[in-house]
Amino acid sequence: MHDNIIDRSKDITILELLDRVLTKGVILTGDIVISVADIDLVYLGVKLMLCSVETMEQLKMGNPVPKK
Amino acid sequence: MIYAILSVKKNPGKLNALLAGIKGLSGVGLYAVSVNKITLAVCDMNKAEIIADKSCAIEYAGIIETLAQQFTLLPVQYGSVMESTDTIKKMLERNYAEIQQNLLKVENKFEFGLKVFCDSEKLMTELEDANETVQKSGSEIKNSVFREYVNQKLKEHRREEMLLSYVDSIIAEFTRLLTHLNTINKIKKMASAKNIIDAVFLLKKNKKDEMVQAVKDFQSKYPRLNFILTGPWPPYNFVDFTLK
Repeated sequence: MHDNIIDRSKDITILELLDRVLTKGVILTGDIVISVADIDLVYLGVKLMLCSVETMEQLKMGNPVPKK
Repeated sequence: MIYAILSVKKNPGKLNALLAGIKGLSGVGLYAVSVNKITLAVCDMNKAEIIADKSCAIEYAGIIETLAQQFTLLPVQYGSVMESTDTIKKMLERNYAEIQQNLLKVENKFEFGLKVFCDSEKLMTELEDANETVQKSGSEIKNSVFREYVNQKLKEHRREEMLLSYVDSIIAEFTRLLTHLNTINKIKKMASAKNIIDAVFLLKKNKKDEMVQAVKDFQSKYPRLNFILTGPWPPYNFVDFTLK
């Protein structure tokens, strides 16, 4: 793969960051007021598509997102 | 808006000084709301000002990252707001024990994410070629459209089982490799057709280089698989409670 095993490519890092900050972490039930309908996520070619797109759709519909 | 829940055992002045130097979303100042040894980093926010776009979420995460470099914390999901500092304090009191336990669990640790990708169709074909049972399953039942359908489904099922078994073996081998790092692991299989492993690991900060080396060694053993290692992150995936 790459000599630098920690992938520093900006797009992957941003996707990983967004997945964490939007769907993980401490949740305040009933107090999330932000609609995430218009978050623009990056599609990284044919080899990767991170699961955040599906998670975003779940959040838009107001469904709880299952944790890992 | 709440950014993170922090453990401030000694020197709360250090946190206050750090918060004084950071701007929150929309340039609003950050401050601390505390109950005993647990503190929330918060800023005042007019709900109408909250903007749901990528740059705000990234900025929010950046603030958490800055705090995580100096304090043990649990990151809070973006967009979490409470009405007042009194509400926050009551919430902290209700959840104090769970929060404290979780903070202890993540103390001096951070998170790495590992995703493993492959062309699963190609991999299944390769595994199938090496596995006589699956090859034979196509010829077990013959002589009708219905039976051909059943044959096909049987074959697909066995191919998938083979792939899952392969993924299980990869996971078992990798977690054995990490035993000496005392990681806490959360692993998901087949997150998508191409993402065969989606894992997060919580480990001590001083084990970072060993983690990286372990993944490098593993990558070289499985050159057909694509390993994406990211981190270190604050412990987003190791929050064990929901606030009540």
